[in-house]
Amino acid sequence: MNKTVDINLANILFHVDEKAYNKLQRYLEAIKRSFAGTPGSDEILADIEARIAELFQEKLENERQVITLKEVDEIITIMGQPEDYMVDEDIFDDVPKTENTGSTPRVKKLYRDMDNKYIGGVCAGLEYYLGFDALWIRLIFIFLALFTGFGFIAYILLWILVPEAATTSQKLDMKGEPINISNIEKKVKEGFDGVAERVKNVDYEKVGNKVKDRGRTFFDALGDIIMFFFMVIGKFIGILLIIIGAATLIGLFVGLFTVGILDVIHIPGLDFYDMVNSTDAPVWLVTLLTFFAVGIPFFFLLYLGLKILVNNLKSIGNIAKFSLLGLWLLSIIILAILGIKQATAHAYTGSTRQDEVLFADKTPDTLLVRMKSSELYSYQEDIGFDGMTLTRNEEGERVLFSDDVHFDIQQSEDSLAHIHIRRDADGSTFEEAEARAGKIDYVYGLDGNAVVLNDYITTAIENKVRDQQIHINLLIPVGTVLQFDPSTRHKLGWATHYDEDLYPSDVPDYSWIMQSDGKIHCLDCPADVYKKERDEDGHIIINKEGVDIDLKDHGDSFKMKIGNDGLHIKSGE
Amino acid sequence: MRKGVLEYCILSILEGEDKYASEILEALKDAKMLVVEGTIYPLLTRLKNAGLLNYRWEESTSGPPRKYYALTETGKVFLSELNTTWDELRTAVNLVTNAKNK
Repeated sequence: MNKTVDINLANILFHVDEKAYNKLQRYLEAIKRSFAGTPGSDEILADIEARIAELFQEKLENERQVITLKEVDEIITIMGQPEDYMVDEDIFDDVPKTENTGSTPRVKKLYRDMDNKYIGGVCAGLEYYLGFDALWIRLIFIFLALFTGFGFIAYILLWILVPEAATTSQKLDMKGEPINISNIEKKVKEGFDGVAERVKNVDYEKVGNKVKDRGRTFFDALGDIIMFFFMVIGKFIGILLIIIGAATLIGLFVGLFTVGILDVIHIPGLDFYDMVNSTDAPVWLVTLLTFFAVGIPFFFLLYLGLKILVNNLKSIGNIAKFSLLGLWLLSIIILAILGIKQATAHAYTGSTRQDEVLFADKTPDTLLVRMKSSELYSYQEDIGFDGMTLTRNEEGERVLFSDDVHFDIQQSEDSLAHIHIRRDADGSTFEEAEARAGKIDYVYGLDGNAVVLNDYITTAIENKVRDQQIHINLLIPVGTVLQFDPSTRHKLGWATHYDEDLYPSDVPDYSWIMQSDGKIHCLDCPADVYKKERDEDGHIIINKEGVDIDLKDHGDSFKMKIGNDGLHIKSGE
Repeated sequence: MRKGVLEYCILSILEGEDKYASEILEALKDAKMLVVEGTIYPLLTRLKNAGLLNYRWEESTSGPPRKYYALTETGKVFLSELNTTWDELRTAVNLVTNAKNK
């Protein structure tokens, strides 16, 4: 059982089933919409309604019969779908006065021109869009591709994202008038001409309407100008985004992917990655993740820029967008996990101590400190991390190597000379760190009255770079004279106390004696060493030997010296 | 290809006698020029607005009053022009297609 609705079609009464009524109403609404804006649309609609009424009447056998869905469907089949009502505007080109022909200039859209293509028709399409010869555009693309790689990526992207001009209307869109200043100007002028004409032909009875029209035209023109400037700014931002996005992507691509791919081939320095890395993640994975994590946001930036610049860009699709987003999140999460893992490898610092007596039988009155350089220097590889680098030892094995070794002079508590060697290293547990510290290879020797210290440490590669360090303390009994070999220059640490106002690097120039207060006293320092022109507030001397600054203020002090042996800065209270 | 042809047919059908929409439709459907009826109404309205057609209302014995369309003077001139154009076109097409077939 269904309700019926009474309707009036072309002044004739029909009983219509409720469902049929709804369908008929939707149909007529759709037709009305398809005629919206066409001159005489009301008349067309009335004609159509009249025809439908006529058809209904033919179908009904008596006046009491109700129109059902079946009849409505039949009518729709006869009359056609709303899109069948659309008449191609071109039909009326040769009919006078029906169309206001050529009123609006076409706005150009970027399409790929498949008729004049070499590869994908991108350049040929750009020819129309930008308005200069495709030959130049091709040359620019080739130039950019050869020298920066940007041309190549831009071409591929445009190839994917710009639709090809398949239909005539798309081809016309492609060749349409360019959006430039002269066109905007033309449009504005047209607007003013319209105003002028209306003023000339002013119809005083409808002057009110005219004023309204004139206002609208003027503001249309003003709107065009404002829109033009917004468009220019927008396009500029678009270009900027494209450049930023593309440059970053290319940089990343070249930088990371070459590293990732070259992992297969051995390049020096890359094995350092293994020394530093503690996550067991292979190089290519980390590279790929970094590429995604950094590259995807910049890809979207590039896409946004293209979208601003080119009106009818194809969307890359929601699936692509969301998978990229997912990939990005995944990369970030994995990188974060790897980062945490990496950080924990340095969580603990472990140390081992070595305490030995020098010259067990009798401490010589004069003790010479000498440092021994390593012949391993010559095998050093260029790439280092955390002060450590790779080299080969005497047996030709690859070892980690660091020459950051310093020593300090301190007072011995007994009558013997001692050496304290502390080895430090990091690890994910205290025990691991301690074990690693113990694996630092360091030796010293005695030669007559000389202590010979190696100025480098080595450790096997499998121990990896974990902030390995060494601290050497020479404990000297009171009254022992100390002399330094020139090789110890720059190797004396800051913890050595001495009673002259010298820099540690200058200490080896003189002879010293250990005093009972733990300081070493200079035996042969000239009295005026760095004491010229000195007053209570300190001094600044600039002469042939370099720059010497020594400032004191309320207990704070600052010393800087620039000389032949480099720059030294010391500050303290 | 149908560009203008449908209009030409409508004008031809109305030559000599006035007809209402259903009769025009009848003729076009017999010639298989039309698939659905809806297309004709916008065409008729536009031709009328272009001054090629006019219409008068006539009461119908069955159903709503009918719009009888007739050619105006302009319409008649336009139709004769179209006839000439069509003949020329047909001759030209025949010439080309026959030459191809030989």
